[in-house]
Amino acid sequence: MRLFARRSFLIGVILVGAVVVAALLAGWLAPFDPVKNNFRNRLGAPDDVFLLGTDRFGRDVLSRILFGAQVSLRIGLVVAVFSGIVGALIGLLSGWWRGVDVWLMRVMDGLMAFPGLLLAIALAATLGPSETTVIIALTVAYTPRTARVMRGAVLVARAQDYVEAARSVGVRTLRLLLRHVLPACTAPLVVQQTYVFAIAILAEAVLSFVGVGPPPPQPTLGAIIADGRDTMVEAPWIALAPGVVIAMLVLGLNLLGDGLRDALDPRMRRITS
Amino acid sequence: MLRLVIMRLLAAVPVLLVVSLVSFGLTLLVPGDIASEMAGPTATASDVARVRAELGLNQPPLVRMAQWYGGVIRGDLGRSILLNQSVGAAVLERLPVTLSLTFMGLAVACLIGVPAGLLAAAKARRWPDQVTMGGAMLGLSLPDFWLGLLLIWIFGVQLHWLPTGGFVSPSTDVLGWLRSIALPAGSLALTQLGPIARMTRSAALEVAGSDFIRTARAKGLTEGRVFTRHVLAGAMVPILTVVGIGFGLALGGALVVEQVFSLPGVGRLVIGAVLRRDWPVIQGGLLLTTCIFVLVNLGVDLLYLWVDPRLRESS
Repeated sequence: MRLFARRSFLIGVILVGAVVVAALLAGWLAPFDPVKNNFRNRLGAPDDVFLLGTDRFGRDVLSRILFGAQVSLRIGLVVAVFSGIVGALIGLLSGWWRGVDVWLMRVMDGLMAFPGLLLAIALAATLGPSETTVIIALTVAYTPRTARVMRGAVLVARAQDYVEAARSVGVRTLRLLLRHVLPACTAPLVVQQTYVFAIAILAEAVLSFVGVGPPPPQPTLGAIIADGRDTMVEAPWIALAPGVVIAMLVLGLNLLGDGLRDALDPRMRRITS
Repeated sequence: MLRLVIMRLLAAVPVLLVVSLVSFGLTLLVPGDIASEMAGPTATASDVARVRAELGLNQPPLVRMAQWYGGVIRGDLGRSILLNQSVGAAVLERLPVTLSLTFMGLAVACLIGVPAGLLAAAKARRWPDQVTMGGAMLGLSLPDFWLGLLLIWIFGVQLHWLPTGGFVSPSTDVLGWLRSIALPAGSLALTQLGPIARMTRSAALEVAGSDFIRTARAKGLTEGRVFTRHVLAGAMVPILTVVGIGFGLALGGALVVEQVFSLPGVGRLVIGAVLRRDWPVIQGGLLLTTCIFVLVNLGVDLLYLWVDPRLRESS
């Protein structure tokens, strides 16, 4: 496949693939229970038993990171899918019917006016800390961008001759949208949601870091960093290691998104190689 | 021109309406009882009743909404019981810290990102391009709060060059202020660099194909001058756009970075309020921060007109 011939895309696949495999096999790979305290091994430096050391409750940092990566990936994926579905729906409505367009886009503009993270933090705090809450908060914060991208794609598609032709031979609106317009918009939608996946992982880490993520003792990458923040001097490994995993995931997903965009939209390749 | 400015200003009205509705609506979404939550676990029934009355929670939502809007219009965002201070004063007091951090971070990001993007465009597809774009990509993938901790560890804990947290006001000690803000601004800048450099590069490449660039080359300008003078000018609108978007991202990032470096800014106020469930502060902080963001975007919109004369004529 031509996509894999591109070096950056390949790096993206490797980075994301490595974390996904490690996270999926966490139950099997993790050497210790991620939530079991062991006060005899508090703040232990990395050695050959605890490869990434232990935290202030004596929990194995590597095991916590493996299970934390599971949470990050799950939240990121669900947010990408949900905001993709909702955003696509809003974009379709808005791009097709001018009457609702004005209203829907004003609401989207309003939501986009918030700094995304701040809105997500406020929403997550409002609804109470849980994984579901984080997913809802991030979906609300990041759907408007998807809706905008989708609306743009629908506007382009509806001006195409084949859509006009389908309309003139009497294809019903619903069928027209699903069979003729939607397929033309999937490429930009998929690319956009790859970026949303990456943004959601970063944002989840921030939410967990400031304390409105899934509640403890659930390990999440952001919460492990928050734990390690207080012991930066004695035990810097606690805070530093999870960040590397987040960076791998986000960098990998961004590279995947760029690769997909270049492959799906040849016009862009000249500009972004 | 004036008509255009007024149109842009009017376009901000529905945005602010949605923003204020969401800010107010948050309290309607709280699953539990706000008054007993705010009064604390040891509060008696009369304490809770007092808090409820003080927040006006014993009135129906529509009345509360009318009162809240009435206050907002008069510039009164309510009172924080926990801080014993009006929300407006609490936010305004901390705003300079947040804004100076945001501007410093963004300024450093622009000073490095725009030249890096131009360089990448001038050397497109050769090694300087690949190195800068690789770096930009890495930068925008790093969590800024984590980068802050990394910088603290390197420059504060290991090298002892810079303080690991705390804030010094520029009015008392300018050098101390610079030192206190260097690491936070640095971690913000590193994550903001990426989008700015990437956007500069792609805008510059698009402009580099235009006729007027060929003319500039044909009249014998050096390649450096072609890029710094003509390509940069042509690429200014997309760069400004990304700086405007970058401001929002940097502002959001600053709120979290403050938390890492214990800077007394709006971020720590709002996040502290979130953890203590201090609703008036959450609502007011959200509203005011977003208004600033909207105003900055409006400013960027108006800057376009100044930078690109074609937009002025088309109005």
